[in-house]
Amino acid sequence: MFFHIVLERNMQLHPRHFGPHLRDKLVAKLMRDVEGTCSGRHGFVVAITGVEDIGKGLIREGTGFVTFPVKYQCVVFRPFKGEILEAVVTMVNKMGFFAEAGPVQIFVSNHLIPDDMEFQSGDMPNYTTSDGSVKIQRDSEVRLKIIGTRVDATEIFCIGTIKDDFLGVINDPGAAA
Amino acid sequence: MSEKGGKGYSAPKAPKSALKTSQVSSKGKDDSSAKSKRGRKVQFDNEGTPEVNSRNFSDFGGKFETLSSKGDFGKAGKGGKTMGEGKSAMLKDRSKLELRIENELPKNAKCLMDCEAADILQGIQEQMVLLSEDPTIKIPAPFDRGLQYAKRGNHYSDPQSLRRVLDNLTKYGASDGEICMIANICPETVDEVFALVPSLKKKESKLKEPLKNALSELAKLKDST
Repeated sequence: MFFHIVLERNMQLHPRHFGPHLRDKLVAKLMRDVEGTCSGRHGFVVAITGVEDIGKGLIREGTGFVTFPVKYQCVVFRPFKGEILEAVVTMVNKMGFFAEAGPVQIFVSNHLIPDDMEFQSGDMPNYTTSDGSVKIQRDSEVRLKIIGTRVDATEIFCIGTIKDDFLGVINDPGAAA
Repeated sequence: MSEKGGKGYSAPKAPKSALKTSQVSSKGKDDSSAKSKRGRKVQFDNEGTPEVNSRNFSDFGGKFETLSSKGDFGKAGKGGKTMGEGKSAMLKDRSKLELRIENELPKNAKCLMDCEAADILQGIQEQMVLLSEDPTIKIPAPFDRGLQYAKRGNHYSDPQSLRRVLDNLTKYGASDGEICMIANICPETVDEVFALVPSLKKKESKLKEPLKNALSELAKLKDST
């Protein structure tokens, strides 16, 4: 889910950037450093929407760098346990399938896929119901529920399920005619 | 030691692993003293400052949340962002799969519906087009993917009316996170909402009618595709 939050960060600036455009350089550095990163607490920082406040700079002893505390607003994307998401399937194998929702990867294990869906291998591996009416393959859109999350250094990885009511395929690209 | 019964509520959290960040402390001092008698292992929630809890929790980076969340985010994300809602320790029984946003993000976090996020990100992208002429500036991949995701999930033409319709539900106890979930799911029936957002089930009696009305309003607002 997307959130709009205010975060704070200490930015270090090299003296060569000091001058009339100090603030602009600080903001540019903030955007370079922060946009696209991921943390366990806040999720992916998708975009910075504004800078609220830049505090007074503190010169660090021993080096000429100056540290500025910067408060900024940003849009973050963070998946939560219990959240319902619509994701696009990227890969299907006999262990389950991988899907993507925004910057987040989700894995749905075959144990969390309804029992009436079987894995079919082939050129386009997929999960299909016994009567062939519902198919999950690459590029299918599925609605799933997140049941667990893990955060690495640079990305968030989730486990999902489609075994509950109102979950499963929304849009099957193969069926579009 | 029978502090458990003596404090006027039943079944406080048993002294489980130190990894758990129990948030029972909405009851205040009573909880802390009960726990201290039991030989607490780690001082996570002495005085019940939820921010301390959530910060400590986020340190357990590599673990799946399922491991350490058994009933410990006792608030279970109910009742809006005010952490001091006083939800009791009975919440151990609550499903693990309920949305518990409020405990894990800073208090000033504002939940965005996909359509609102799409608007904001679209605006930023238009500015970025100008910035991208500078070769040193790269548009980060999460931004692109986030924007695509928000646009794809965007079934409504007017985020403001959508927000107005759903904010009505806060009067009946729905939290911000739950409202955003409802908007993102695009439900067709009330049963679908209660099945997908189990935390609303507790307030089913209060919410059923307003939810029905809200859904019919949403149906009118949906883009005809």
